[in-house]
Amino acid sequence: MRIKVNSREHEFPPGSSLARVVELVRETHKNDPVTRALIERTGFDHLTFIYNSRIVRPDEYESIELKDGDEIRWMRPYAGG
Amino acid sequence: MNGVWGKILRVDLTGGTCTVEPLPDEVYRYFLGGAGLAAYFLWRECPAGTTAFAPTNRLTFAGGPMTGLKQTGAAKWTAGAISPSINLNADSAATASFGIAMKATGVDAIVVSGRAPRPVYLVVEDGRARIKDAQGLWGTNAYEAEDAIKDAEGADFEVVTVGQAGERLVRYANIQTHKKSFVGRCGLGAVMGSKLLKGIAVHGSRTCPVDDAAGLRRLNQEINRRVAALDAAQPEFLRFKRVGTAGATELFAPQGNLPIKNYSLARFPGGERNLHGTEYARRLQAKPWPCKYCVMQCHNLCQVETGPYAYKGKGPEYESFAMMGFNTLVDDLEAVAYACELANMYSMDCISLGAVIAWAMECYEKGVLTQRETYGLDLRWGNAEALVEITRRIGERTDGLGYLLGEGSKIASERLGRGSADWAVQMKGQEIAAHNWRAQYISALNYCTGVAAGPNHERGNSQHIWVADVRLPEWGIDEVTNDERWSWTKAPERNAVFHDYCNVINSSCHCKFHEFRGYTLTDLLDTVNASTGWGLGLEDLRRCGERITTLQKLLNIRYGWVREHDFQYPKRFMEPVPEGPAAGRIPAGLDDAILAYYRVRGWDEGGRPTAELMKRLAMEEYAA
Repeated sequence: MRIKVNSREHEFPPGSSLARVVELVRETHKNDPVTRALIERTGFDHLTFIYNSRIVRPDEYESIELKDGDEIRWMRPYAGG
Repeated sequence: MNGVWGKILRVDLTGGTCTVEPLPDEVYRYFLGGAGLAAYFLWRECPAGTTAFAPTNRLTFAGGPMTGLKQTGAAKWTAGAISPSINLNADSAATASFGIAMKATGVDAIVVSGRAPRPVYLVVEDGRARIKDAQGLWGTNAYEAEDAIKDAEGADFEVVTVGQAGERLVRYANIQTHKKSFVGRCGLGAVMGSKLLKGIAVHGSRTCPVDDAAGLRRLNQEINRRVAALDAAQPEFLRFKRVGTAGATELFAPQGNLPIKNYSLARFPGGERNLHGTEYARRLQAKPWPCKYCVMQCHNLCQVETGPYAYKGKGPEYESFAMMGFNTLVDDLEAVAYACELANMYSMDCISLGAVIAWAMECYEKGVLTQRETYGLDLRWGNAEALVEITRRIGERTDGLGYLLGEGSKIASERLGRGSADWAVQMKGQEIAAHNWRAQYISALNYCTGVAAGPNHERGNSQHIWVADVRLPEWGIDEVTNDERWSWTKAPERNAVFHDYCNVINSSCHCKFHEFRGYTLTDLLDTVNASTGWGLGLEDLRRCGERITTLQKLLNIRYGWVREHDFQYPKRFMEPVPEGPAAGRIPAGLDDAILAYYRVRGWDEGGRPTAELMKRLAMEEYAA
């Protein structure tokens, strides 16, 4: 099934949960200097996931089963001008 | 008309008159409100040759169709005028509750012209306006003035004031409200001071009708809940957000986006240790200090209980923190916070102030300024005491150095000479903000081509594509790769989109920072439509943005902009840093990118809107 993650389409096997996407995004960005700096300073990477326009809490990642056409956005909810 | 009153308050300080005038519906449909209205009044009433401190300059305070809608972020309002730093059109936005209260008086904008014969303040209450004596307030700082006006008029008034820097025409003086929000950049506080206008107090009880009240309630509930849920999804983040925007240093430092030592370095170990978010929260005892209706709560109240930098008040925002701390190598957190609050009280923009002080420190380092010229002040890099003292001297403007630095780094370097222009990081007379062009080249393009308020990081905040992962999918900015930040791929197009986007936000009067919380253009569009009933589509909204940008461009041409000004970027733009995340990066090819931007905009090779563009935007009458 095809899932959009930050507007890019990716192929995922049926039955995949949102946790799989979270894991992949974290793996992809683990060496990102921003991620490393945030983890070093604050202990967490500040990534927040939005599933079909709904903000998702970390304790929900495993329970959300993805469907074909789902849209996932991840962001770091910072403000700074 | 719904969503706006269709009325403005005209204040003539020379004649001492205040009258309410109608404003046609088509003006709002073209320019929305806020920044658009400010530009409209300059276009209509300030011919070529009008200068910033001339009585004929129009200083406009304006809300928009989103002002006061009880949606998170709907507390914004905008002021605009011809700026004394860039001598071009300029606008700036602020929050707290002044805009909401102004709208509640029954007008969309207050347009101030003339110059009072003696210091005055203005009181506006439910359709009635009075000009009152302010001679007893002249010489007080902006906070003292606000307190005094509230004592005189009532604590439920919302007030804007200027401090000594505004009175004494520091070219980057700002206007403050509620001791927490500032009309910064571009020196509008000096325009206010030049009119001998110390403050404006507003209070009203009127509710502007909206087109779809039930729809608006549903939108407000859904959006407010969604934005709040984003923060609540990460409980750890809720603790961290007390830091407010200053926490952005954590995000920006690893990207090479910080200004360090007048933009000449990439690393600042002392700053990395002391000037970061977790220290800010702890040592400044930061607590949220939200604007009305806002669930993001990025402003904070800070307190330093003891020592020479003891204060209780506004915590520095990212830009203030970066420019006054990292950019001057002062890593004393309390001193930086104190100096920023001192600047606030004098009413000075901390971005320009930090840049000017850094310029002066570099002059001192290079022997161009000596202790003779500084009257004994040791302006070495990182000297916290000197940071605080020079802030005071510029705000007071009573000695030669304070006066010179109050002119901004462009004029100061022209007067000082000795090669000091080489390290004045400014364009068109305004200092560059705390987004390093080496981290994303589009920032350089934005600084060169911005028309709303000179080189301004929030009048085209395209840096947020990379530093904060902001996307505008409705207007075609979606897939972006990290490598593109150091190329000109799509930079002209993206720059144009963000210029128009910022104009739409600052004219409808919503808080742009909600883009960091997933607030979308569709949210904005739906809200504007529910408020006004205009039935706009996304492309219509883009046209509004284009019209406002085009009007600003026409104004700049009228007030003396020439093509060469866009290419007179600071020498430092092309000086790489040897280490760090942006090591070796310089925006080579910037000149071609500027020309490409002109083409994208529909401007000619001279950077002027073409007749075809004016026709497409149905703005032929504005072309003259």
